[in-house]
Amino acid sequence: MSAPSTVRTGPAPTPARGTSAGRPRKHRGWRQRFGHPAFYLFPLPALVVYVIFFAVPTVQAFQYAVTDWDGYSAGYRSVGLDNFEQLARGDDLFVNAMTNSLKFMLVVVVFQTLFSLVLASMLLRNSRSSTLLRAVFFLPTILSSVSVAFVWKFIYDPNFGLANSALKSVGLDSLTSSFLGDEGKAIYFLAITQVWFHTGQMMVIFIAGLQQIPRELYEAAAIDGVGRWQRFRHVTWPMIAPATGIVIAYTTIQSFKAFDLVLGLGGNPPQGSLDILSTRIYTSFADSRFGYAAAESIVFMAVIALVTLIQRRTVKLTQSGA
Amino acid sequence: MTEHSRPSGPSRRRLLRAAVAGGTVATAAACAGPGTTRGPRPGTGAPSDVPPPVSGRATDHISFAHWRAEDKKILGELIDDFTRRNPGSKVRQDISPAQDYQANALQRLKNGSIGDVLTAFRGAQFADMLKAGLFTELSAQTFADEYLPHYSRGGRDEAGRLFGLPYQLVFPMPLANRDLLEKAGYDKAPQNWDAYLDLCDKLKSRGKVPLAWPGAEPGNAGQLFNAMVMNNAPGDDACARIASGKAKVTDDWFLKVLDQYAQLRPFVQQKAGGTQVEPAQQMFAKGTAAMLATGSYHMAAVRQLGAKFPIELVPPITVDKGERPRYVGTHNATFILGVNAAGKHSTTALRFIEYLSDPAVAGRYANGTAQHLTVAGVTYKDKDLRDTQHWLERRTMLAPRYQIEDIDMLNAVEGACAKVLTGTSAGKAAEAAQRVVDQRRPG
Repeated sequence: MSAPSTVRTGPAPTPARGTSAGRPRKHRGWRQRFGHPAFYLFPLPALVVYVIFFAVPTVQAFQYAVTDWDGYSAGYRSVGLDNFEQLARGDDLFVNAMTNSLKFMLVVVVFQTLFSLVLASMLLRNSRSSTLLRAVFFLPTILSSVSVAFVWKFIYDPNFGLANSALKSVGLDSLTSSFLGDEGKAIYFLAITQVWFHTGQMMVIFIAGLQQIPRELYEAAAIDGVGRWQRFRHVTWPMIAPATGIVIAYTTIQSFKAFDLVLGLGGNPPQGSLDILSTRIYTSFADSRFGYAAAESIVFMAVIALVTLIQRRTVKLTQSGA
Repeated sequence: MTEHSRPSGPSRRRLLRAAVAGGTVATAAACAGPGTTRGPRPGTGAPSDVPPPVSGRATDHISFAHWRAEDKKILGELIDDFTRRNPGSKVRQDISPAQDYQANALQRLKNGSIGDVLTAFRGAQFADMLKAGLFTELSAQTFADEYLPHYSRGGRDEAGRLFGLPYQLVFPMPLANRDLLEKAGYDKAPQNWDAYLDLCDKLKSRGKVPLAWPGAEPGNAGQLFNAMVMNNAPGDDACARIASGKAKVTDDWFLKVLDQYAQLRPFVQQKAGGTQVEPAQQMFAKGTAAMLATGSYHMAAVRQLGAKFPIELVPPITVDKGERPRYVGTHNATFILGVNAAGKHSTTALRFIEYLSDPAVAGRYANGTAQHLTVAGVTYKDKDLRDTQHWLERRTMLAPRYQIEDIDMLNAVEGACAKVLTGTSAGKAAEAAQRVVDQRRPG
């Protein structure tokens, strides 16, 4: 670190708290310069947890990703970027998982955001019925994902399931499906479960955002004779843009990380139709390809970061354009 | 605070940043992963010296690691008996869920803190554990002689040395409702492919689902593969040859398997690809389906669901009329028992396995779990076990699906069959599976 310059330009500095103006710095004590030593103890527990459970595994993931380690042998071989090369060349299973993850994420983000916003708008007023309905819509969120998966497993069951029985009972036999066994559509049925599971949570964020909007803005808009759509377009939407940003970012990350729901719904049918990135990485780990799984994890992390970045930019642009 | 008022030298924030960075690097360096050895992989880890027959008394506290939560009660009773006979000894059951055990057992067992007596699934897990040197060689143990010799293959290494004792024996081939088969005119199981299709046709014409197939669950859906392959494969190691690249999924014999799967399409339940195992069991137990394409390990489950009819195992025999099948069924010796080489109480561990290998004790376990065992001379009291006991003496093949040890390869190959059964063409399914096999093959 270079020595601080003694040449000063511009206005005279404001004395720092606890120091006397004009007093030479070299005379200030350690405590004055860095604060009380106890200060450094406070963040220590959090720091230790962060380092052990985040920093170290992240560094190790990079370390393993360039090896052929199988997860248990005492030694391993460095394979350079072979694992990444294999992924880049188009590993069929990884590509399938990536495609499924992106489809899943898109459907979940669009519908979860839309439904939660609509629900929040409808249940904004404080009345007994809306309080009750808020609780009802929030209820799935408090359930464990495994319970949710088991409930939906019975709904989706192609032979005895509630969904097909309901469709048949109203004469919609043509719409019955094998749901999670349908190679092309299984991922969308998984998305329906995810949307049902988390919409209540997002609804709460939107309600909080909507409640922050000053009533005066609506009153002014009403005086100006602005219609409902215009009110939403020019008042509500810009004001809840931060909440929308949070919901979209959170939903994106949540949908990429969906894992227990997939396993709970019955693992992965033979067609690989429910294989998403998280389950793919899990399979690679279970298959003793630790190095390869680490490389997949890094790509996974990069994909989430990229998608989140794009979304943040998009939301910012929307906010500035609104 | 302005720029100029900032104290010279490192600020608190900078110090914190430096601490985080330093801590991260130091901890990462300290946890330098799986060792610093670089270069060729270590050997199999299997010891070359054969440990002598166990001697000495069982006096230690040991851990028995397994995934058989459903066997906890009967194992608990046996453990109580063992500890009564061996004062000072204690056996703790460390039970993991099967999926968890499949994924993490090796990492958990290798330091020896749990699993003095350990178990392994046949196939990939046993091979991995053997490679990691976790199993103690049992070739010299006299209790190994209690086992039916032809079922020990799953517990041996490539050189034929015995490291594990496949304890529980299952027959992964379809269960059949004998009453329904008799009503369809089949007092005896069909012995060729045409007869099998004819049986299915007759069952269907009587309003029954001929074959309930749990297509949404690879573990159970894949069991049909064993019987479909056993008489089509050119050799006993055909699936291993696919895994090693010496044979292909697009080879004629495998395409024939896929074509036969396609012929089964009308005979599985509607939307079979999405069916979980529980509804498939229900269909069979209620008599809606005449056969359940899983295995003998589900006999107890369907009885619990209320099945009252006699059960037989009826695998599809895929040979032409007049042709003699090489195999009449398949078996799999699961639940491989072994002694953890990293454990500290090998005498007690060996004594415990010796105890479980006693035919009388094994009989208690078999009847308590409604499963066949590889131990010779077991008396089966359970009616279903007795009725299907004749399979112990028949010409059955060690389930070929487990020759493919890579999970992704196995899913791809079995997945090709599943795809064909639910509508994809055989050629297209085979090509897709072969692509995955090629990508997954080492080297």
